[in-house]
Amino acid sequence: MRILVIEDNQTTRQYLQKALKEQGYEIDLADNGQDGLFLALEGDYQLIVLDRMLPKLDGLTVLSTLRNAGKQTPVLILSALDSVSERVRGLREGGDDYLIKPFALSELLVRIEILIQRKGTHSEKLTSVLHVADLKMDLLSHKVFRGSTEISLLPKEFKLLRYLMEHSGQVVSRSLLFEAVWDYQFDPQTNVIDVHMARLRKKVEFDGLTPLLETVRGVGYRMVEQR
Amino acid sequence: MVLPLYWKQYVASVTEWWSSVKTAHSVWRLTRLYTGLLLSVVTILLVVLYQLSIGQMNRQQGLQMANIIAQQTSLAEQLSTEQFIEQFKLQAQSSRQYILSYQIEQQLIGRLSAPPTTLSQCPSLSRFPIWLDQFDEIRLVSGCAQPMASGTLIVAVDDESLYELKAQFISASAVALLLAVLLGIITGLVFSMRVLKRINSFNQVALRVESGQLNARVAVSDHNDEYDHMALHINTMLNQLQHSFETVSGITDAIAHDLRTPLSHLRQQIESEILTKQQLNHPSEQLESMLDKLDEILFTFSAMLELTRLQQQKESNTKHFKTVDLQQVIIDAVDLVEPLAEEKQQVVSIESAEPFSIQGDATLLFRAIYNLLENASKYAGNKAQISVQLTPRGFTVSDNGPGICDIEKEKVFQRLYRIEKSRGVAGFGLGLTLVKAIIQLHNGKIELLDNQPGLIVQVEFSN
Repeated sequence: MRILVIEDNQTTRQYLQKALKEQGYEIDLADNGQDGLFLALEGDYQLIVLDRMLPKLDGLTVLSTLRNAGKQTPVLILSALDSVSERVRGLREGGDDYLIKPFALSELLVRIEILIQRKGTHSEKLTSVLHVADLKMDLLSHKVFRGSTEISLLPKEFKLLRYLMEHSGQVVSRSLLFEAVWDYQFDPQTNVIDVHMARLRKKVEFDGLTPLLETVRGVGYRMVEQR
Repeated sequence: MVLPLYWKQYVASVTEWWSSVKTAHSVWRLTRLYTGLLLSVVTILLVVLYQLSIGQMNRQQGLQMANIIAQQTSLAEQLSTEQFIEQFKLQAQSSRQYILSYQIEQQLIGRLSAPPTTLSQCPSLSRFPIWLDQFDEIRLVSGCAQPMASGTLIVAVDDESLYELKAQFISASAVALLLAVLLGIITGLVFSMRVLKRINSFNQVALRVESGQLNARVAVSDHNDEYDHMALHINTMLNQLQHSFETVSGITDAIAHDLRTPLSHLRQQIESEILTKQQLNHPSEQLESMLDKLDEILFTFSAMLELTRLQQQKESNTKHFKTVDLQQVIIDAVDLVEPLAEEKQQVVSIESAEPFSIQGDATLLFRAIYNLLENASKYAGNKAQISVQLTPRGFTVSDNGPGICDIEKEKVFQRLYRIEKSRGVAGFGLGLTLVKAIIQLHNGKIELLDNQPGLIVQVEFSN
């Protein structure tokens, strides 16, 4: 699995290189927009991590040139520009995800994992019933069962559980959950997502049944098939 | 009644003009003052004119009547009754202007064939009709009765033309006063509106500056009058203010850029260190708590930068505004905050009237409403009632908690300000400042009111 990192700051570049290598990815590096664009057009990458502000060629120009050339490689934009309009611009130009600096490494890894998986397994997800262990979610009838017991969920709880089930096995950060379920892009910075998760957990893991929702300290949550 | 379309348009434009004039109090004040002055001047002129013409004639007539009465009284005293009657007959015949009669018991001597039934005593006059043979007509005369030793003297004067003159003067005066009122109102309105139009242009600029458009300037005409001098002074002041703001914002950006990068690197190093320690199964709690603290600093830092951006770059922030269903945003925010409230056994309710839409940024509005709801849940205490109500111009968030005292109501919107008693609760003192900046960005106004007990946060939008 090859990833191209286009980042001008040496410290961040090395940090990313080390972290991604540890996860088993092969890494190519570029320290300016021009080199980055050349590598992105020539090479065969599963993902590109692209800094927004780059010397020689701006990140957004790299992205739009890439898309105009017909390259559909998933692009994760990294940027210190955190306003909504900047994020919207980044995504409009063809970015698949946008992560604001400073970021947590764990969140970056989760987002990379999700982006790669989304491209690879897109067709498999056209299913109407989701299964994780003995938890079953029928997307058409909006019914959820744990074993044979039906669980009644509020609409937001349903969306929360659906997102977790669709990404079972992956660590999902709180801000990702918030974006996916509430559809607003900002970090609420409080424990409100944890409180929602606690409520959902109570409904799904009743009567001492096997826990399915795992808390990953400092990062977020993961839905697990087996422990 | 069905009005034709052009009439309706005409009525609508007049109504609109009227309501705009009515709201401008100074226009009315100046118009009233001007009209009052004009009326006073016209009234004084009319009074003087009356006194010099009709008044003078009246006084002269009164004087002449008094003379006649005095003359006859003195004759009656000096002559015997027969002699007096004799000379009176002669005088009554010869007098052209005055009608003289003398009643002695049932006999009436002089020009009048019958005495009027009611007649006031001299010098006050009463009016009565007489028949004039020579002209074959009835005329109204003014006269009075003066009791004398042997009978009663009746003196009357034909003053109908004077009365007509008086009536004409009064109606002419009424028309003149009415014209003065009309002229006063029209010229007053025109002049005051012309003057106030320029003052209003200053007001408009002040409003635009207040809403964050620091580049707004007052138009300067070529009259070179006091208003133009004022406009030039205000524009110079605004230029300096804008320059200062840009300098400050430039410094903030520079600090942001210089501090953010090393802090991010520090974060990366700590995180890397934690991962290494975790792989080696070494304890990493201390590093994790350092990371938490660093995240708090970074959060405060980015919140402050965001605030500066919201407050200063209004145009770039409003560029991507879309129609936002405020009711939906409120429902979403309540949805998010509900479990927090449930933990404290609080009840959050939405009392909504009609759906309400504004031009705006849904994420920012959501953030503002969520912040207000989270604040209410944080500070209103256990079992509090929190409610969001959509109003015709915005919404209110109210609770029945301890509320905020009047002195602190404005201060809570200041950056990093925290009420003494809330210091125990987690927070950075930026929430309400951010909410205010977001509301202002959407041309809205936020106010804190008493719910007795509790707090009402009232948000009203003007677009």
